[in-house]
Amino acid sequence: MRITQNMLSRGLLDDLQGVTERLSRTQQKLSSGKELTAPSDDPFAASRALMFRSDIAQNEQYGRNVDEAQAWQTITDASLSKVGDLVLRARDLLVQGANDSSGAAARSSIATEIDQLAEAMKSEGNAKYAGRFIFAGSATLTQPYQMGGVDTYSGNTELVKREIGPGVQVDLNIPGSSVIGDSSSGLLKVLRDIATDLRANNGANLQNVDIAALDSAHDALNAARAVVGARSNRLDTAASRLQEIQEASNKLLSDTEDADMAKTLIDYSTQQAVYQSALKSGANLIQPSLMDFLR
Amino acid sequence: MSVSTFMGLETTLRGILAQQMALDVTGHNIANANTVGYSRQRAVLTPTDPYTVPGTSRPPQAGQLGTGVDVTAYERLRDSFIDIQLRAQTMRQGAAEASADGLGQVELAFNEPSDNGLNALLSRYWSAWQDVSNAPENLATRQSLAQAASSLASGFNQVASQLGTVLSQTGQNVTYTLDEVNSLGTRVAALNDAIAKSSVTGDRPNDLFDERDVLIDRLAELGNVSVTGTTLGQVDVTIGGAALVTGNASATLAESNLTSLTSGKLSGLITLRDTTIPGYQSRLDALAGALVTATNTQHAAGYDLSGTAGGAFFGGTTAATISVSAAIMANPALVAASGNGQPGNAANALTLAGIRDQALIGSATINTAYSQLVTQVGSDTQEAKRTLDTAKLLAGSLEDKRQSVSGVSLDEEMTNLLRFQRGYQASARALSAMDEMLDGLINRTGKVGL
Repeated sequence: MRITQNMLSRGLLDDLQGVTERLSRTQQKLSSGKELTAPSDDPFAASRALMFRSDIAQNEQYGRNVDEAQAWQTITDASLSKVGDLVLRARDLLVQGANDSSGAAARSSIATEIDQLAEAMKSEGNAKYAGRFIFAGSATLTQPYQMGGVDTYSGNTELVKREIGPGVQVDLNIPGSSVIGDSSSGLLKVLRDIATDLRANNGANLQNVDIAALDSAHDALNAARAVVGARSNRLDTAASRLQEIQEASNKLLSDTEDADMAKTLIDYSTQQAVYQSALKSGANLIQPSLMDFLR
Repeated sequence: MSVSTFMGLETTLRGILAQQMALDVTGHNIANANTVGYSRQRAVLTPTDPYTVPGTSRPPQAGQLGTGVDVTAYERLRDSFIDIQLRAQTMRQGAAEASADGLGQVELAFNEPSDNGLNALLSRYWSAWQDVSNAPENLATRQSLAQAASSLASGFNQVASQLGTVLSQTGQNVTYTLDEVNSLGTRVAALNDAIAKSSVTGDRPNDLFDERDVLIDRLAELGNVSVTGTTLGQVDVTIGGAALVTGNASATLAESNLTSLTSGKLSGLITLRDTTIPGYQSRLDALAGALVTATNTQHAAGYDLSGTAGGAFFGGTTAATISVSAAIMANPALVAASGNGQPGNAANALTLAGIRDQALIGSATINTAYSQLVTQVGSDTQEAKRTLDTAKLLAGSLEDKRQSVSGVSLDEEMTNLLRFQRGYQASARALSAMDEMLDGLINRTGKVGL
């Protein structure tokens, strides 16, 4: 093949252009730390990166949902634990008042204290978390109990749900009516009955019916606390599982998107060497021609 | 002896003149060593007609005395078969370059993978619904949902508008390219005319041929051309199936004339304008439309903070028109998060967040369909870049082949320079020898004894 000077310089320019392009690409990888800067670099990897990114965002959100639900459970448990203390105190008072040695006057003063306990219980039932009444069912903006007087429950019995995974929902709340109750059922009714019996000096009722009713209401409270504890455990498990998924997804995303620094650095120095040798050979090749030797 | 005494003078004179002309051609080659499209030329040296001694029978002397040399033609070294091959690659390269450029811009419009692309905005939007489900009573979370939805809507608007810009730029580019084709056609026709005028007198307008070939090479970048040689060195050129140049006349082509455009920049641009980009646009519109419909339907099934049934959440139907309802932007309490009207119930917000996982576009969710779209753009761009690289490589090696035949080699020209210089000197020396001989004959003969 007949080779001309222009072919040599064209070939050299083409090669230099190619090497420079690769160098600049590698440099971009090094400076950005990313293997993938545009979908056309690797369309398949790009689609995986997009998928991992949205998975990660979703998991982060589930993590926030779990944290939020966990906080709700903590507040609920704290309130129920206080209600539990109130029940124990009420039981002490009841045992004391049921004793036939207590006179009508003593029973009446115990009854007053029992009423105080009932009010304290309603106050716990009005517990709030971030501006919301936690025992009001889904009517979270309505105060469930009015202090003093009537023991009406103004909330509802709806269980509010939170999503902690794709399609996985947990119940969030305990409706106040199922633990604290109202004028017709639950702890409040039992306490009010006890107060009434104390005032009526009805020893027989106090010794039999009321103690049994209080114990069974206490059991219901404990059952509710167990439910809260179980949810809390479930949320903990979910949180640590989300954490694991998150770590795995982050690793996968990094594998897909991020540049392998060691490899990129080696590529970079190889390409630099090629570039320099292309320049050197070009300088030697392009310069001399027959003209340099003719006189 | 019937050969002229002075014949040798004529013979050497021809030698001198021919060597000089060959030197001139070498000078022309060197001068044009870097001219684009220049094909090296060569003076074709041919012995002139020999002198035959006239006689009725076999001449008594040796016959056919040579009379020297003459330049019979200036030859242009060119392989038209390589031209055809090279132009075929140039056409592919033109189409791939146009697609790669346009698709590169489309890719930029999508800006993926990044923290600000539609994928991230979608994620933030779904998360915002979940946040609302965590605190449906809270106006702040509803406000941030409205903001996330609004960012998503303007993200869609932006991509749509950038695609629109690329589309209209491509359209304009088609017009400009067509103008260029027509202008090239006019110039080829003018060159055809000039070539015919020279050829008819028997000349070979080599430099005009080169100029015309450069124009046709450029035409091949723009569209699929076919070149047919006709009389007097003229060529007829068709582009995209339409006759552009016929003899010394050129046509002004409109896009509708190019009925079988298969490659070249024009074909790349038109495919981009009529098929590729509208395809992306309709897929993006389908995404936005599905999001609007599914969200609005579900939103209407819920209740806002005051217990009233939800209205429309999004307005618009396409990526360019999607927007968050002005009422919701103004009053986020209107977000229908509740499934039953109770403020603490967030069932509808969860269902709305669950639209993320619903197969709304064929069997794909909105996120999947979006990532498929981005992958499609990516692989189209990659494909165009690869085709471009291959075409460039092939065109480069064919360009080398062409240069190998037509290019000026300075080493070769230097050698020729020496060769013809020596030839000239030698002819001149022969002339001096003749001169001395004649001097002896004319000035000294008949002076014996003087």
